[in-house]
Amino acid sequence: MIQVTGAKSYVQAVQALPLRLREEALSLSEGERARAEELRLRAGWPMTVLIDGVERPLDGDPVEPGELEQLIEIASRASIHTVLDQIRRGYLTVEGGHRVGLSGTAVLQGGEIHALRAISSANVRIARQVRGAAAPVLDRLCSKGVLTDTLILAPPGLGKTTLLRDLIRSVSEGEGCSPLRVALADERGEVAALYNGRPQLEVGRRTDVAEGCPKAQGLMLLLRAMNPQVLAADEITAPQDVQALMTAAGCGVTLLATAHGEGRVSLERRPLYRPLLEEGLFRFLVLIRREGEGRVYTVEELR
Amino acid sequence: MIRLMGAVLVAAGGAFLGFQAAAGLRRRVRAVRQMGAGLALLEQELELNAPPLSRLLERGAARSEGPAKALFQCCVQGLDHLEREEFSSLWRRLAGEHPELTVEGQAILSPLGDTLGRYEAPRQLEALSAARRRLEELAARLEADSRRQGRVYQALGLSGGAFLVILLL
Repeated sequence: MIQVTGAKSYVQAVQALPLRLREEALSLSEGERARAEELRLRAGWPMTVLIDGVERPLDGDPVEPGELEQLIEIASRASIHTVLDQIRRGYLTVEGGHRVGLSGTAVLQGGEIHALRAISSANVRIARQVRGAAAPVLDRLCSKGVLTDTLILAPPGLGKTTLLRDLIRSVSEGEGCSPLRVALADERGEVAALYNGRPQLEVGRRTDVAEGCPKAQGLMLLLRAMNPQVLAADEITAPQDVQALMTAAGCGVTLLATAHGEGRVSLERRPLYRPLLEEGLFRFLVLIRREGEGRVYTVEELR
Repeated sequence: MIRLMGAVLVAAGGAFLGFQAAAGLRRRVRAVRQMGAGLALLEQELELNAPPLSRLLERGAARSEGPAKALFQCCVQGLDHLEREEFSSLWRRLAGEHPELTVEGQAILSPLGDTLGRYEAPRQLEALSAARRRLEELAARLEADSRRQGRVYQALGLSGGAFLVILLL
């Protein structure tokens, strides 16, 4: 597996920071930059960096509230009006697929978050792409060389999205299987991370992405407009998503999705996912578990 | 003969200065009108699909003339260095680099830097439209001034030249 990240990715991510903080962030050694996962900025406190799960402060003056405002301006290239929807959801994607998470005082309108004012904290998450993550399961999932309906199941933080992204890339590029047109409903922009219309993370040349719209609507839009052979979505969490997948399955499209869960039993127990199993929407279930520093995949047949 | 040539040159110099001053007044009118037209283009683009600021200004620059084109182009370049200068300050500084827009014109433009890209499209449209209207009013006023003062400057130049000729002869 090749981890497409490291020092280069870190340097790209810190371009979103105001000048003083950028210089501080660049004071890390090459090795630290390669292992850094996040930079955290809290008003009134020095900026910190998360390396190997440990957060440690950088040597610098406390972050000023104005610098957090400037972070948003730089990250949006002074086009806050184009990222307001993302800001309402608490993050925005920058070039390279890195994410700036935001927190502050919410402005409510009709009970919904309309905007964030007085930003108090932010974090810059460095995008990681593990090319080849899907290689261990690809053979099994592609019977006769063509991808079959697959559901990836794991608790948060185990790499469902990473595996999904690499599966999409492999199928779209025809690596280890026949190339297929993939349509991806990327509601939160975590899989492809579109920036100015271009995926910042590799999802393959035959992949069409619908970002920002609710998954169910995105799936239907892609189905109607892009004539996909594979329909992919990250994190099936609502009955509408399940309904959309069922509609798509009826159109002869191969499905690829992820869901939160420990194992097959937990899937069967949850009413949301029961229709997926009863209707036999997915042929394979990929389970992920941590083993030491790495991940182990188990493929189970559902039908 | 030499005296005559000198007299002609002095008279022509005076007239030239008068006509130059009048042309300067007309240039101001043209610059303010071009700026107003540039803002109108931004309004159209913003209304169409609310693009990111860089694209909005790029498109504006491609179809504008005079100070509007220069201002939009320089702002696009400045967007690559937001870590050094915020957009509002960049816009204000660059708008101040066009004296042909007059102090009043610059004062109309400056606050736009606080609104463009920062608020939702309707609010930006409102600000652009208000600034454009004020620039159009300013252009109309400057044009009336230019007509009135332009003639005065031309007459002053001609008569000043003639006066010098009489004095020197």
